[in-house]
Amino acid sequence: MTPLERRYRWLLFAYPPGYRAAHGQELLGVLLDCAAPGRTTPEVREAVGLVTGGLRERVRQAARGDAWRDGLHLGVTVVMTAQLAVLLPYAGSIPGWVALSALALLAVLRGRVRLALPLVSLTGAKAMAVATAWQPVDVTLLPVYPGFLTAEPLFAASAPVTVALGYGFVCCGLLALAAGSGPPRTRSWRWAAAVPFAAWTGPGWMPEGTPLPLSLSRTVLELAVLCLAVWAARTARDLRWALAAVVYLLAVSVQLGEHLAELTRQHLAYWGLLVFLTALTALVPYGHRRRVPD
Amino acid sequence: MFGGMPRGTDEVSEPMYYVLTALLDGPLHGHAIMKVVGELSGGRVKPSVGTLYGILERLGDRGLITVDREETVNGRVRRYFRVLESGRTVLEAEARRMQQAASLVINRTSYA
Repeated sequence: MTPLERRYRWLLFAYPPGYRAAHGQELLGVLLDCAAPGRTTPEVREAVGLVTGGLRERVRQAARGDAWRDGLHLGVTVVMTAQLAVLLPYAGSIPGWVALSALALLAVLRGRVRLALPLVSLTGAKAMAVATAWQPVDVTLLPVYPGFLTAEPLFAASAPVTVALGYGFVCCGLLALAAGSGPPRTRSWRWAAAVPFAAWTGPGWMPEGTPLPLSLSRTVLELAVLCLAVWAARTARDLRWALAAVVYLLAVSVQLGEHLAELTRQHLAYWGLLVFLTALTALVPYGHRRRVPD
Repeated sequence: MFGGMPRGTDEVSEPMYYVLTALLDGPLHGHAIMKVVGELSGGRVKPSVGTLYGILERLGDRGLITVDREETVNGRVRRYFRVLESGRTVLEAEARRMQQAASLVINRTSYA
């Protein structure tokens, strides 16, 4: 295998595995046929074309099936990822419940919504027990202090109603998905990789004592994912990413709304950016269109 | 380059136009399509391999082209693509649109 072929093979990883298995050799053949004799590195134009082509193919495949159902499933997945991120720093104190939340996310990622529903209900019930300090069973010493990634006790900045609404949203979404025909698609394991970034409250950038301090790592992650969603919505001209973004925005807005009177300019800018990018995901599918006359 | 990619079976971008035109004379594989597109456009339209196959997949999704046959060359499968009747119709409609648009300028220039 020549160095050029090896490098092109690496670039082909931008494509989804199924497409790569079916057509990777064909693309590789054309790439090598087009290459100048003696060349050892891919042309920049070809490299960029492969990466963007691969990402576009991923979006093309992701845009198949019922957009509403798939968008709801994606939105529920993202909210559950955030919920696991909230619990993760407390794994040392409540390991069983964190594991249950992780199992619920795993079930949703595999499309097993009927299995995820009782797991989320149980985790939500425990979360409510901690948030309200009413623990008829499975008593946990309160407040629950973190072991890593954050310094605040569990639900220190969240009212019980906010916690209940968050888990309620997810349960309603799962119920709607379970009522439909057939299981939703399986999703990438990469969502699990987002959990530590969403859980980390650092690096600190807001003045000490700010109610509901915004996590910079989580904010960057959210904005990056929303920008990808806008690009995917534009590329596929499909509304599923808008629906998922709306579901997530609702969950975040409930948290921010609880502290409405105390929000800083940074909070409002953050909220505004989420609303703006969510609106973009809904608008870009209806962008410039040129029709060919009959 | 493809930021204004149109949508739907009745819309076609410039690279798509050249790809469909390249297929009018018969089925071609990816490398041959690239060469013909380059020749037809005087070297102006040169899609990368990734871009070309993206266009071919989208044209297939819209039912404008299909895979005519597959051949194995040097151990690698090659797909030959063929333009369908719907593809010809869309291409002709786009050609008429451009002809009408061009005539607005060319007719005026001829009077000058």
